[in-house]
Amino acid sequence: MTTELFFVQLINGIQYGLLLFLIASGLTLVFGVMGILNLAHGSMYMVGAYLVWYFATVTGSFTLSAILSAILALALGILIERVLIQRLYNRNHLDQVLLTIGMIFVFNSLQSILFGNDPYGVAVPSTLDGGIPFTENSSYPIYRIFAALICVSIAGVLYYVVSRTRLGMLIRAGESNREMVEALGVNIKSLYTIVFAIGVMLAAVSGIIAAPMRSIVPGMGESVLITCFVVVVIGGMGSIKGAFVGALLVGLISTFSSVLMPSMSNMIIYIFMILVLLVKPQGLFAK
Amino acid sequence: MIFEKRTERILVPMFFMVALFLPLFLESNSFFVGKVTTIIILSIFVMSLDFLVGRVGLITLGHALFYGLGGYLFVILAPEYEAVNFWIYTFYICGISALIALITGAVVLRTTGIYFIMITLAISQMMFYYFFDSLEFGGDDGVFIFMKPETSIFGLSFLNLDDPQHFYYLTLFSLFNTLVFFKVVLRSRFGRIVEATKQNPDRTEALGYNIFIFRLACYVIGSTLGAYAGFLFALQYGFVNPSFLAWEMSGTALVMSILGGLGTIYGAILGTFTYEGLQYLFEHLTEEWLLFMGSAIILMVIVLRKGIAGYLEKLLEK
Repeated sequence: MTTELFFVQLINGIQYGLLLFLIASGLTLVFGVMGILNLAHGSMYMVGAYLVWYFATVTGSFTLSAILSAILALALGILIERVLIQRLYNRNHLDQVLLTIGMIFVFNSLQSILFGNDPYGVAVPSTLDGGIPFTENSSYPIYRIFAALICVSIAGVLYYVVSRTRLGMLIRAGESNREMVEALGVNIKSLYTIVFAIGVMLAAVSGIIAAPMRSIVPGMGESVLITCFVVVVIGGMGSIKGAFVGALLVGLISTFSSVLMPSMSNMIIYIFMILVLLVKPQGLFAK
Repeated sequence: MIFEKRTERILVPMFFMVALFLPLFLESNSFFVGKVTTIIILSIFVMSLDFLVGRVGLITLGHALFYGLGGYLFVILAPEYEAVNFWIYTFYICGISALIALITGAVVLRTTGIYFIMITLAISQMMFYYFFDSLEFGGDDGVFIFMKPETSIFGLSFLNLDDPQHFYYLTLFSLFNTLVFFKVVLRSRFGRIVEATKQNPDRTEALGYNIFIFRLACYVIGSTLGAYAGFLFALQYGFVNPSFLAWEMSGTALVMSILGGLGTIYGAILGTFTYEGLQYLFEHLTEEWLLFMGSAIILMVIVLRKGIAGYLEKLLEK
């Protein structure tokens, strides 16, 4: 592997890892605060990608479509939490698994009814089209750098909100002791609605950011869901810091393995996850 | 009596009586015989999962690993153009699956709760991609089984696996044995301790039982029967491909067992038949059957808290 290839792969890996973090952060946030295992989280990623594709073909502006899709996703999150998830707080994990599998079916079917089963692509916005010259004869796409920067800034905002604001304080308090937060007069129900909606929006925003880089196809949600599980489990369920480290590790490992040993590349992250759990059965940053 | 509940004593004989005579009425239409055979095979698979999830408390999302192994092991072991003996190969496949379950079980049972769900998922995904990317096992397309096994015992053969009706009765017989086997196991001393490990692991351990060994034994039993179901399915359709061990397979089986009534064992039959029946119905009514299937699942979670068996028990037990 040449130095040049190594650096390209390194940037690719980090960029993929950051995108994974963005998706996984919503999953781990919802699990950590509410104890809900949302198998339909990948579907929200799909929703984001399809919405931005639809609005982009209608309006022609990527920025406008991105904002519209994110707002719609937030509303969808509130709706799902109010109508369905709220009924599950006193049930076990298995009922949650069952309900969210049902949701995957519904979203996949809505996708095929509304948008059909053809693969789509979203054009990279014109201001971000092109590449940064890397060496004399190679360059790196600007949009990918931009996407990575967006992911980093969202991670920063998330960190700030959770650790420095009043909402973050409530989220952390809700994680450690639900009853006590309730007894102190906080409306835990609306807190949960907010957290779930933020989780949905994080997944959808990842789908929006990924849309110009990847093709928009049926089933895109499920494949990303399983990878996110790996990320979240390696980091430790419920830990946002863990999700960040786990996402970068998974991003780098899967990028490098697809170059170094292509025949094993699909298996390798699962092998890595099993090894991590053998050493630390609760993940790297367990609470 | 191994069937403790009134509901079971009514439903189980009813089901097997109907199932026993069903092919006689469907003789002209072997599509339905094949369809029901598939559902019976799935019921065995779901029942083995129900035992693990509902009775032992091991929530696995990687049970399909063994379903796939049952099929792939046959392809790996049996010569391609020679009919082998069904009973001997059942023994081989179950033996090797049990060994694999013993090894993987020793690894996955180190974790608990949500991590157990995830590590079982990871192991089955790993094997999924192993077969998916493999050249010798046909990758994505899988492998065809050209010769079905013969079923002679001491030279006497009374079952012909190429005959859909014979195959139907073989699977029905297997389902009955699986049901009785689980009921006997759960009523035994071993089963009582397993029940205790689920209800209160700490106290059971304090009584001097090594709960790890009991869980491992159950994991091996459940996984082996899951592999047997996969073997039957591969024989029915004459092929095996990676979708056998996809996570969707594990997920669907979990949905079926929860739908039927988790931990009731006989509920696995109810859940599988209801799920497959609904799917068949929706598929024929509309192109967008997934939408109805998904909505039906969501509705049932909200309305039926303890599955179909739980609902029936509420009606019939007094």
